[in-house]
Amino acid sequence: MADFIQLFINGLALGSVYALAAIGFVIVYSATGVVNFAAGQFVMFGTFAGVAMLANAGLPWPVGYAAALLAMAAFGALFFIVVYLPLRTSPVVTVIIGTVAVGIVMQNAALLGFGSWPFRLVSPLEGITIDIGGAAISAHAAMVVVVTGLLVGLIWLLFYRTALGIGMRAVAQDVEAARLMGLNVNRLLALSWMLAAVLAGIAGLLLGPMWFADVNMGDPIALKAFAATIIGGFGSLPGAIAGGLFVGLTELLGASYLSSAYKDLIAFAVMILFLLVRPQGVFGERIQDRG
Amino acid sequence: MTLLHATAISKRYGGLMALSEVDFRVAPGEFVAVIGPNGAGKSTFLNVLTGLTPPSAGRVLFDGRDVTRAPTHRRIRAGLGRTFQHGRLFARLSVLENVMTGAAIRTDRTESQLRALSLGMLDRMGLVGEAHRAVGSLSYGQRRMVELCRALACGPKLLLLDEPAAGLNLGEVEQLMARLTALRAEQELAVVLIEHNMGMVMRLAQRILVLNFGCRIAEGSPAEVQSDPAVLSAYLGEGYGNAQH
Repeated sequence: MADFIQLFINGLALGSVYALAAIGFVIVYSATGVVNFAAGQFVMFGTFAGVAMLANAGLPWPVGYAAALLAMAAFGALFFIVVYLPLRTSPVVTVIIGTVAVGIVMQNAALLGFGSWPFRLVSPLEGITIDIGGAAISAHAAMVVVVTGLLVGLIWLLFYRTALGIGMRAVAQDVEAARLMGLNVNRLLALSWMLAAVLAGIAGLLLGPMWFADVNMGDPIALKAFAATIIGGFGSLPGAIAGGLFVGLTELLGASYLSSAYKDLIAFAVMILFLLVRPQGVFGERIQDRG
Repeated sequence: MTLLHATAISKRYGGLMALSEVDFRVAPGEFVAVIGPNGAGKSTFLNVLTGLTPPSAGRVLFDGRDVTRAPTHRRIRAGLGRTFQHGRLFARLSVLENVMTGAAIRTDRTESQLRALSLGMLDRMGLVGEAHRAVGSLSYGQRRMVELCRALACGPKLLLLDEPAAGLNLGEVEQLMARLTALRAEQELAVVLIEHNMGMVMRLAQRILVLNFGCRIAEGSPAEVQSDPAVLSAYLGEGYGNAQH
């Protein structure tokens, strides 16, 4: 039982990171119709922003985390200006290919800057364990789950309780009508990209101490976040959360109770099953083509 | 004193002149109707005024400022409001949230003030009971009223209404006219109304602009326009206007 609790919490922690990456993915998709294939590299940048601020610059961790997230917000704005704005009138597929290209550039920029040797990002709660029902839980894993829960609450408040968030949802639905409500559409779209980048940054900072910080870490994360959104429902925020937690849990529980060689099999098999039987996912609406 | 002054507005789509050299003025608080047969360029004209469609030529002055090149959201902030011919509410937002997107223009207010303001507007439209319903669950007539409420939430000086009575039943049209009249009694609100319901146009409008094939063919009081031969022939066919005289 103690083993199970430990695995369960670790699975939730990993799933939380996938969920955060998936939420960033969904926010950009809902607002702009763009499937961001650089989403994994966004998370990788988050981890390396942490490495740069904490390990390399040696900032104390609250300052380092804040600086890393500020850098991610700036990166989101830059991405909006350099990739999205110039391509916004072209077909959405062009923008999607653009995100693939930028993902490749990001990965190689990280390789140039940090080298291929993996780093270790130390958690502020390194080495501390909490006893839950006889199981020794790493305090970092518990923190990941708590931080993700808080963030989900904040995101919900933003989108459903503030005029800013309501405006972002309005822009996602009808850009022209949103302009006629006096909403500054470009500013709200830029905010969507910045928010996605910051969430990916938080995912990266939380993931760093659980994995090694490796410039190639982006693709596996993007695949898991993608699987999470398919299972939960493409474009749905609750779906991204549920899907992320499901993928994280099956990965860890599957590795322990079945075989670590097949740990990814279950999540992807479930994803394929959903694509065949219920392509709109658990919470999603039917996917429609958008202009 | 002119609130809106459009001069020589032209819009060309390839070889088609959707609008050609249309001049148009609206005074503060004035109620003007724009009528014309289908395809006359009425909606294009509203799109040019609101900035959704850039004009090929001409100038738009609003409240003393040249807004010809200004983006739509700036014009809305300056005091233009608009509803669409085919309802364009945000379907996945509640009634209250839809109105709040309009109210959010007042950046000096707090969230709770915006919420209270929006609820107050819904109350005056008799829609406060529907505030938390999904827009999709409303009747067609209610949706048009929510759209009007949302446009009013922007606090416009000039409200552009694109066929607000389309698809409404007689009772709902009466209700809409009563609301518009009441609104204009409470505040100085200029209105430009595009409408095919001539009863509504003749009763509400102080002045009527008639467009046909993108050109201004007549302008004047309801009585003048009704007896204008060019208008009669545009609506009823070539020669009808002349046969009357």
